Amino acid sequence: MASGNMKDIKRRVKSVESTMQITKAMRLVASSKLRRAKQKAQAARPFFEAQYALMCRIAGETSNFSTVFTRRREVKNRLFIVIAGDRGLAGGYNSNIIKLAEQAKKDGESPKIIAIGKKAADYFSKHGYEMTAEYPGLAEHVKTADAADIAQTAVDMFASGVVDEIRLFYTEFVSPLVQTPAELEVLPISSPKAKIAAPNKMGTTFDPSPEAVFNRAIPKLITSLIVCSVNEAYASELGARRTAMENATDNAEEMIEHLSLMYNRARQEKITNELNEIVSGANAL
Amino acid sequence: MTEFNLKILTPEGVAYDGMVQSVIVRTTVGDKGILAKHEPYVAALVIGQMKVRTADGVRIGAVSSGMVEVNDSGTTVLAQSFEWADEIDVERANRALKIAEERMKQYKDDKRKLDIAEYKLKRAVNRINTASDYKR
Repeated sequence: MASGNMKDIKRRVKSVESTMQITKAMRLVASSKLRRAKQKAQAARPFFEAQYALMCRIAGETSNFSTVFTRRREVKNRLFIVIAGDRGLAGGYNSNIIKLAEQAKKDGESPKIIAIGKKAADYFSKHGYEMTAEYPGLAEHVKTADAADIAQTAVDMFASGVVDEIRLFYTEFVSPLVQTPAELEVLPISSPKAKIAAPNKMGTTFDPSPEAVFNRAIPKLITSLIVCSVNEAYASELGARRTAMENATDNAEEMIEHLSLMYNRARQEKITNELNEIVSGANAL
Repeated sequence: MTEFNLKILTPEGVAYDGMVQSVIVRTTVGDKGILAKHEPYVAALVIGQMKVRTADGVRIGAVSSGMVEVNDSGTTVLAQSFEWADEIDVERANRALKIAEERMKQYKDDKRKLDIAEYKLKRAVNRINTASDYKR
């Protein structure tokens, strides 16, 4: 019995070891990719911030500023843009963001979904949501053209009244160890006027008019918003995966330690048994 | 000549940040020249060339849509993409041009896809032209 037990333990150690090799490799891949993803996420930020500040200024400078994108109307239908990963094994990364989107939804409401990332697409189509569009495999190398496509779809839906509100769900990259799921209101742009302390009356000239410039800029603003958040979400995904894989590797190590202890114990037991047999056999003679 | 600060920002990062003498950009209502002490000004940009004059000479670049803002701290160009003429990958632009032409034939009836293909076509043509202007 003892030898059978030993064989079992040995097999388990081997299997844990090979799992550990995989998790170790995944951790290394994630951390090397994370560095680049972080840079990319940070590079896009000044552009987006400058763009957003400019939009606020445009809205702030004209006294009777109003376009379809700033007016709030009764909310009948909503569009959720959810950014998740393409792959699992990233701890709670995918489930956290999906959970947040589920919580944001009101009772009995069924929002339309634009899913970025395979995991989001799988989840929402499986649970019977109306999928406006799916973009699996976009996050790693997000192209402005794809983001522009998403933005245009969203803007068209809002402008034509198919939806009355657009929300974006993504995972904010706080640090390589901390990622928090976040919700953003995309449209209508929540009263940009309130965001600036004092409207500056510099007498800016708008070519051809503030509204025209603003409306033209809206899809672009949303495009870069999407690019920014996808980049940030991807960095978060890698951060989460790295942490998860590190924990898995640690656990595997612990398990191997425990198993080899058991193995040694079983071996010892076997030797003791054999000795006992020999001694009692000699005694009987 | 009086100089002023020009910033060119794209989603990929800061493409340019420095002192210049003049800037010419293509807005939705035509080309616009900007010198130092220009009045505050905002306009949307279309696909086109941008000419920047510095103390060292004139540089041209390809812009694919965005916005320009002038205020007392300087001029900021927010572009979806921006390349100086000498940075343009002409081969890639030529490939993009061919693909866009095919798409335009293919999607004759789909307005959205046609628009996207047309935008890409214009962008590729702009890049090719900008690069060849630079060589001359």
